[in-house]
Order: sequence, then C-alpha cells, then structure tokens
Amino acid sequence: MRTLACTGLLLSLLYSIVSGEELSGEAIIQKVNDNLNVETAWSKSTMTIVTSSGKKRTFLSESWSKDRGEKNLVRYLEPRRVKDQAILMLNNADDIWAFFPRTQRVRKLATHAKKQKMQGSDFSYEDMGSGDAFINDYIARRLDDEEKEGFDCYKLELTRAPDSDVSYSRMILWVIKENYVPVVIDYYEEDDPSRLLKRLVSSDIRVIGNIPTAMKFVMHNMNDNTQTEMELLEVKYNIPLDDELFSERSLKK
Amino acid sequence: MKRAIGLMLALLSCPHSAGAQDEVELFGYFEPSVMGVRIQGSTRQLYTNKLRVDLKSALSDNITFAANFDYITYHGTTEWNILDFLSSDLTSNVPQYLRTVYTLPFADRSFLDNAYLKLAFDRFDLTVGKQQISLGTGYVWNPLDLFNIKDPLDPTYEQPGHNAVRLDGSLGSRYGYSVLFSADDSWKNSAKMLRFKGRISRFDYSLVAAETVWRFHDYTRFDPSWLDFVELPEQRRLVGASTAGELFGLGTWVEYGYNKMETSKDYYELVAGADYTFDFLTYFMVEYYRNTLGKTGRDLYDLNDWMRQYTAEQKAISRDQLYMYISHPLTDFIDLGTSCILSLSDNSLALVPMLNYSFAQNMDILAYLNFNIGAEGSAYAETTGSGGLLRARVYF
Repeated sequence: MRTLACTGLLLSLLYSIVSGEELSGEAIIQKVNDNLNVETAWSKSTMTIVTSSGKKRTFLSESWSKDRGEKNLVRYLEPRRVKDQAILMLNNADDIWAFFPRTQRVRKLATHAKKQKMQGSDFSYEDMGSGDAFINDYIARRLDDEEKEGFDCYKLELTRAPDSDVSYSRMILWVIKENYVPVVIDYYEEDDPSRLLKRLVSSDIRVIGNIPTAMKFVMHNMNDNTQTEMELLEVKYNIPLDDELFSERSLKK
Repeated sequence: MKRAIGLMLALLSCPHSAGAQDEVELFGYFEPSVMGVRIQGSTRQLYTNKLRVDLKSALSDNITFAANFDYITYHGTTEWNILDFLSSDLTSNVPQYLRTVYTLPFADRSFLDNAYLKLAFDRFDLTVGKQQISLGTGYVWNPLDLFNIKDPLDPTYEQPGHNAVRLDGSLGSRYGYSVLFSADDSWKNSAKMLRFKGRISRFDYSLVAAETVWRFHDYTRFDPSWLDFVELPEQRRLVGASTAGELFGLGTWVEYGYNKMETSKDYYELVAGADYTFDFLTYFMVEYYRNTLGKTGRDLYDLNDWMRQYTAEQKAISRDQLYMYISHPLTDFIDLGTSCILSLSDNSLALVPMLNYSFAQNMDILAYLNFNIGAEGSAYAETTGSGGLLRARVYF
C-alpha cells in the first residue's frame, strides 16, 4: 500500500515535471541556471563581430569556469592583436582583472566595467561571467508558454531585484521545455524596461556530458544594428580545475 | 647587436621535434608613425618605423622562453635640441659651445628588448632575464615603479625590458609576494624589491619596499672626460603601498611612495584616481598626481628640472598634476576620446584629443593631437609647441 502511494506520488511529480504545468518561474530559472553553471567547464570558442556595414572581426579564445560559474577565466588566442590578453572574473564577475601582455600589466576593473563591450563585441563582461545572476539578481515570473524558434517553450520574465546593480532592467526568456535551454533572451535597457536593447538567440543544441548545451549564439544589438556570433568549438564539463588557475599569476601565463 | 641577431636566428633555426610544447611561436608587429610639432612658426616631423619580432616557446609544461627583438629607424628631424623648447630666461646662460650637448638624437637602433626564461612551480614563478616590469596601480604615474616612467600623452605604450631575477609567489588565494633583483655594477647599486599583495573585500592592495641607485644628473655641468653631464648617483630607498578597488560604484586606486634619498632631499609621490563607465558606454577617468620633487610654480623651474623631466629622471616638473580622460565607442571599431593633463602648480594644460581605430583584424590606428595651453615657462606652455601623432600597427 505504502509502495503504491509512493509510486503514485512519484508519477504525479514526474507528470508535473514533464508537463511543466506546476513549475513556477523560480523553479524553471533554477533549472536553466543549473544547466548553464556546471561545477567546472572548459571551452574553446570563436566570437565574430559583424558591424552594420558587414565588416567582421573574429576572435578565438579559451575559457575556464569553476564553482558553478562563480570563477571565470578567458584567454584570447587569436587574432595576434589580442593574443594572450586575459580576463579573470571572480565572485560572479563582481571582481574583474584584465591582463595586457604588451605591457605585462594587470588592471583591476570596477563593476562598472561590466557594462563595457568585450573586445568591441555585443557581449558585455556581465553577459559573459555573471554566474548565478539569473537567480540572485532577478525575480522570475512565468508568462504564458509560447513556441519560439520551432521549440515549445516556457516564457519567463526576469525583473531586476530591488537591491541589484545589474545592467538590465528586465529580461524575457524563452526556455525550451524539453531541456531547459534558453533559446532566446531579450535584454531590456537599464533605465527603460520597455526598450529592447539586445536579443540573444541560441542554436545547435547538443548533449555534452549529459548537459544540454547550445553551441551557437547570436547577440543582436538593436541600438547599433550590429551582431556578434559566438560558436563553441569544444566543450568539456566537470573536469578537475585547480583554484590556482583563477589567480593573478595564472592571468600572466 | 650582432650577437643578439645571431641568438635570435640560432633560436629560430634550432631543429624542433613535432611536439606542440617544442614549437616556437613567432609573432610581432610593424609600426610606422609620424610625429609632428609646430614650434616658433616652424614645423618639425619625425617619422619612425618600428619592427618588433617576438618569439615564445613552451619548452615544457613548466618552462617558457620568450624574447623580442626591436629594429627602429628614424627619418625627418632626427635631432631635437631641448633648449629650443625652453624659455630664453633658462637657456641664455648656456654657453654657445655647449648648446649641442642638449640635443636628443634619434638614431636608428636595434636591440634585444626582452629575453627571459620563466619557470613555473606549484606555488611560485621564477623569471630570469630581460623582462618587462610593471608596478603600481596608477594609470599615468606610478610612484612604486622604479623602472619605468610613462609618457602622459601615451601612457599605455609598452615599456622596455629590464634585466632582473624575479620570483612571484602565492600564499593562498588572497595573498601573494614578489621578490626582484636587478643587477647593476655592484650589490649596493643593484635594485632590490620586496612586494606583498593581498585582497580585503573588493580592494587589492600591495606593500612595497625597494632600494636602488638613482642617477640624477646636473644638466648645468658637462663632464668632458665622460662626454656627458655630471652624474650624481645616490641610494634611493622606497617604501610605499598601493590599492585598487571600488568605492560608491567608482573604480578607485591609490598609490603612494616615500623616497629616502642618500644625499638629496627626501620626497614622496602620491597618485589617487577614479573611473566610471556610464550606461551609454562613455568612459571617464581622473587621476591626481603629487610629486614633492616637482616645483610649486613656473618661476621656480630651472634647467635641471626641465632636463630631468625630458630625460625621464623625474615624472613631472610641477608638484601637482591632474589627468582626465574621457572616451566613447563611436562604433564597434572606433573609440573617440580626449585626455587633459593639467598642471595645478602653474595652471597650464595639455589637451589631447585622440582616435583609436581597429582598421582590420590585425591592424590598429592611433591618432592624437596635442595642444599646449599655458604661459611661457609653464609645464605645458604654448611656446613648447603643439603637435600630434599618427601611428599604425600591423600585427603578424
């Protein structure tokens, strides 16, 4: 009798998870966050900036993250102009250090620098290394489900928490029900929650180490009519990474 | 020089196994530039071509060798007499036969700028050889840097390498230390430095103690036996501290160094700066610099003060200075900015509008103009001329 009750409870829980009917905005964004912030990760990626006139710049970089995205290190490999430049972000990008190999100088950047474009791209430092920001800096609210980019999606509105200093007033996310990958994210201006600033579209979703991973991203900047494409060439999850990797000494290597 | 070229060629021609760690990376840049100055009704131009060739090789997981060789040619006005830029009050006492010794020559040169071996251990790195040394948190001025003096018009330009043995270690995730020795002709004259680094809340800090020989010159006395101005070497002992972090949303940094001199008067230097990026991506920075070696008014500047500034023996001629910089990304590839260097001691200023353009994937262009606005004899006197620089850099 007890076994039957447990099985019933489990089935009902499973149904609610599969159907998503009972999932709150907070529960969905928690799953999204868990997918995005794995214990440790390494990746090699390209980032291509495309201007409104069609000019392109492509960067190749290697990045490491630890403690579910709390620590991040990005090192540029190409082009030669920026080779070996590195950025260390700790405490969910609240602490940022940049290393410039031509001068061998490490510069501590304040949190306002998170607004700056990474290498002139449409991604800001905040977009790249904000770790648990979805959970800690925003309040999630579930909207009516929608189909987006051909996927059946949960639609969420994330509104900036009152005590947070993040750069976006709110975000709208379309999260694929099947794998909790946010297929589209709309970012709204810091001072004007009605004004769409940027849109991130993810594609080429693969399962790597049991973790659904979007391999391609395009960030559209509505203000400048530019876009930046990012493609993950290689990804590894849950690999051993020493804390020493996320230090000033390591930045200079 | 020939030995340096030979060494580079030998390194490049060494047979290497197919292992990735044995590969020598070869890269660098070519940098043509033109600098123009309008002074006393005439225009002078200096054209420079710089070729920098870098090589880097990871000999194993823990051993890295890196070097770079620079070849620079100069064209146009290749001899600049500093007396031409100074007021007649200061230069009238210089005997005619000595006027030529105040000339700064720009002669073609080639040299091994850096060549070092870096050994990485679990808890420390050991770097041996000619290497860049960057100390302090200041953007334009660094009281803790015994080795370099930046050009306020171009403060982020790379600095030359210095021969040194350096050990950088970590003490946990928040603390670290550096020990540096840069050899001179004797132990006493060699530079020695100890630095402890740490982090409290959102602030990085460092404590520094250093000693070196400092070679001031008396630019009013010429030593014919050395064919140079009379050298006044003395021990310089430096203790100081720096910090960088965030206060009220602003990036902030402070750097302080007290210099105990063996014979001349002790002095201190202080830098305090702040920066901010607005939501519309405009970036603003301000940095204050005090140097008690500098004078408090333009009437007090003498020939030695000017020469020591031009030859980088001291960072500024006036006691109190303010640097302000504002920039904005016009497009993804073009940044437009202006810096302003203000001498608070003599109320003169240099205004430097500038443009940075990422022209191609591996090509940058920098252009700036330099307008000096100040009374004759001041740090940024109109009579010292106004000018500009156009510089391209192609990376390979």
